[in-house]
Amino acid sequence: MSALIVFAFYAAVFIAEQKLPPTSMLFTVLKKGAVYALVAVSMNLLNGFTGIFSLGQAGFMLVGAYTYAILTIPVAARASVYQYFNGGMIQFTVPFVVALLLAGCAAAVFAWLIGLPVLRLKSDYLAIATLGFAEITRAIFQWNQLGPLTNGSNMLRLFPIFNDFNIKDASGTVAVYLSTMMPMLIAGLCIALLVLLINSTYGRALRAIKDNEIAAEAMGINLASHKQLAFCVSSFFTGIAGAMLAMYQTSVQAKSFTSAMTYEILLIVVIGGVGSVTGSCLSSFLFVACSEWWLRFLDEKQFINGFEVPLLRNGFRLVVFSIIIMIVVLFFRRGIMGTKELPDLFKRRRAKEATPHD
Amino acid sequence: MWKTVFPYMLSGISVGGQYALIAIGYTMVYGILRLINFAHGDVFMVAGILMVYMATALPLYITIPLVLLLTSLIGFLIERTAYRPLRSAPRMSAMISAIGVSYTLQNLVLYATGGLNQFYPKIPFISDSVRITGATTTMVTVITPFLTLLLAGILVMLINRTKLGMAMRAVSKDFETSLLMGIKIDRVISATFVIGSFLAAVGSVLYFTNYSTVIQTSGAMPGLKAFVAAVFGGIGSIPGAVIGAFLIGICENLIKGLDVILFRLGLIAKPLGLATFSDAFTFALLIVILVVKPTGLFGEEHTDKV
Amino acid sequence: MTDPKNVLHLDHLTMQFGGVVAVNDLTMDINEGEIVALIGPNGAGKTTAFNAVTGIYAPTNGEISFHGTPIVRNHPCGKMRKLYAGTNADLYKDRVLRPTPDQITRLGIARTFQNIRLFSGMTVFENVLTARHLRRTSNFITAGLHLNGKEEALMRERSLALLDTVGLADVRDEMAVSLPYGRQRLLEIIRALATDPTLLLLDEPAAGMNPQETMELGQFIRQIKKDFNLTVFIIEHHMDLVMNISDRIYVIEFGRQIAEGTPAQVQNDPAVIAAYLGGDAE
Repeated sequence: MSALIVFAFYAAVFIAEQKLPPTSMLFTVLKKGAVYALVAVSMNLLNGFTGIFSLGQAGFMLVGAYTYAILTIPVAARASVYQYFNGGMIQFTVPFVVALLLAGCAAAVFAWLIGLPVLRLKSDYLAIATLGFAEITRAIFQWNQLGPLTNGSNMLRLFPIFNDFNIKDASGTVAVYLSTMMPMLIAGLCIALLVLLINSTYGRALRAIKDNEIAAEAMGINLASHKQLAFCVSSFFTGIAGAMLAMYQTSVQAKSFTSAMTYEILLIVVIGGVGSVTGSCLSSFLFVACSEWWLRFLDEKQFINGFEVPLLRNGFRLVVFSIIIMIVVLFFRRGIMGTKELPDLFKRRRAKEATPHD
Repeated sequence: MWKTVFPYMLSGISVGGQYALIAIGYTMVYGILRLINFAHGDVFMVAGILMVYMATALPLYITIPLVLLLTSLIGFLIERTAYRPLRSAPRMSAMISAIGVSYTLQNLVLYATGGLNQFYPKIPFISDSVRITGATTTMVTVITPFLTLLLAGILVMLINRTKLGMAMRAVSKDFETSLLMGIKIDRVISATFVIGSFLAAVGSVLYFTNYSTVIQTSGAMPGLKAFVAAVFGGIGSIPGAVIGAFLIGICENLIKGLDVILFRLGLIAKPLGLATFSDAFTFALLIVILVVKPTGLFGEEHTDKV
Repeated sequence: MTDPKNVLHLDHLTMQFGGVVAVNDLTMDINEGEIVALIGPNGAGKTTAFNAVTGIYAPTNGEISFHGTPIVRNHPCGKMRKLYAGTNADLYKDRVLRPTPDQITRLGIARTFQNIRLFSGMTVFENVLTARHLRRTSNFITAGLHLNGKEEALMRERSLALLDTVGLADVRDEMAVSLPYGRQRLLEIIRALATDPTLLLLDEPAAGMNPQETMELGQFIRQIKKDFNLTVFIIEHHMDLVMNISDRIYVIEFGRQIAEGTPAQVQNDPAVIAAYLGGDAE
């Protein structure tokens, strides 16, 4: 049943993309939503399923974005992009899929290195340590001495973006629009892989670690290796999402990958329900829709009978949005889906919720 | 050599004192609630914004106390609305709420200011120039360390000699037992937030007199660094937070000047752009501390019973 | 040196926390097929000894051997060197062995906990199924891509069979913590069995049970010992259970062993009566 829904959703997106004008806000929301959904599910794997409260997502997205960009900027364009660094030291490109995979791998390697000292810390300290590593990563990628590789504090651009996937006919006009389907497909595939992992024996082991670390260890689950696994897998997909973000933004600059980005993802995860993949996906799209599209009217001055409505001007949208988030965090702590997934909505209401005896 | 290093040390001590005033708020709240108050840095920033707005309408001898008062009130209100309801919830929820408050405060200020740099009013006397052994700086730099140590000293006396202080110490040692012993937890926690916010407001007056522009993201970095200082000094320890903050302030500024210093020493031929790492240094320090001695300089160990 | 049928051997085991010596120079033997009980007043150091065996704490001093092979070994070092209040500090100066609890479980030693530690977010079935994870032969890629169908099916089959032995199969999709207390304890034992142990450590399994349940538990322990070829090491305060099923009993007080022997011997030992059983014990 849920497979049917997902399939129908994708079909609808495909059709919409052919019919609606390509500049419609719907596609912005779908593209950005897809990227955020992937990061959110990755963060959920780490935080919601394994109980590792990491705030380093922005750093891994940065690594992934840069890896992708550095490896796919066409050789001919490098001179203009790396203008202060003599065209840069990398003078080759790799195929798109390879670049995506390498983006993920680079992020995973960073994660593995960071995980060695950090994963044995208590949750609050782990949060701050990962936040710190993300900031250090950002500083490194902005360092002008690494310019020949990273372009220092300058932007990376001209790499393949989503629009490049539109299929053009002989005269150059677009025959089939795929610029939204591509990110949706990539994100969908990655999320599917994550769901498979969560439903495997490893997924159970990770959930056991979150549930009761001491009992999990007593049942033969090695904490260090499983936590590293969760951390690296989560970062792998976060890196790929970073590459997708680069494609969405069409340019990458280290200084935009701040901890504010991580906080947004965290809020998305919480609103969707910590421990629910469906929740993370739903709330990503809702979050992007609200902040980029639906609440936009709050940013415009409105006039009623010649009187300007107070409060409505630029920035009000984000204020309202923040308040909505606070309300959800305070009053709807379990989020939209709690810990339920899409298939659970179709099961007959289970007889018992957990009512602990004793 | 000294002439090159000294100005950086001076600004380091100055900003270190300002970080210390923020760090105390973090360490007190964490000591009692085990909560990283992510919004604390933004409260510091709001204090700066309040001053900007009020100084256009009111004379300084009114705005300064008013800002201190209002910021303390804001800290109190944040605790009441965003943290108290979650006191029985898992710790993660309160932390997420803190992040939410931080997000909200930043967006409120962004909305009010339109994202444009706000210019901090020039406060006479403390913004006056002063020469110390050849380096030119402002009075703020001189006043800050003394004021910080004075306030921290008063606070430590409060904690060790008053009933409220004793209650605070009890609550940070054992929350539940304190409840059972009849300590009015709500009052203790509110007092903690009020004191922390008050000190952050004082810090903001000193900090923004030096830095002079305030925007909605002005609180993020100082807040984060102050938290690192608190962890470094041993979370829950006020002297530790102060020492950690001064250390971070000094090192951070030395790194900013590292290019210049190394150049003058003849060790490098051209600038390496090492100033980018002044922020990163703080985090590197954090990670080293967390890995080597997570309880910080003056923190206490504690084992769990299985 | 030790009896070839010896399953567990504790040699001069000492656990010291700061200035407090919780377990003091304990030397014990548990042989194949035995049910050995460890009894003593509260705070005597029983659970601490368990925790040393299962790797939660590294002992301050001493060695633990499993089937004749040393698995845990340590000696006082660093700060503890000065604080050490026990004896035989230099016995184990050579190679230190500090395995993690999961390594110990993989060797075949499983345990239950004094305060039930079931996975509260999982169902009854999932609790047992998760305990099969350590016996996997797949890696995270083959398992993550669900290429390990046969292994997964076998895991599920085995878990279900285990649940069947205690009649928990019909509640397998209920949340584990929604079971009545006594059945939760049974579930915890079954979960430990799912790790394929040869030695089972039970920490106060009868705590909170009424006399009827305690008796059934005794029968259950005897049954699983037979069915799964186990050796059992049990901490208990329910004396009727202890005297009923134990082959041998060790008594400790303030971390030291004060008696050892068959139930009959221990029951009549004056030191034990004075410390624990009480003057006119039944």
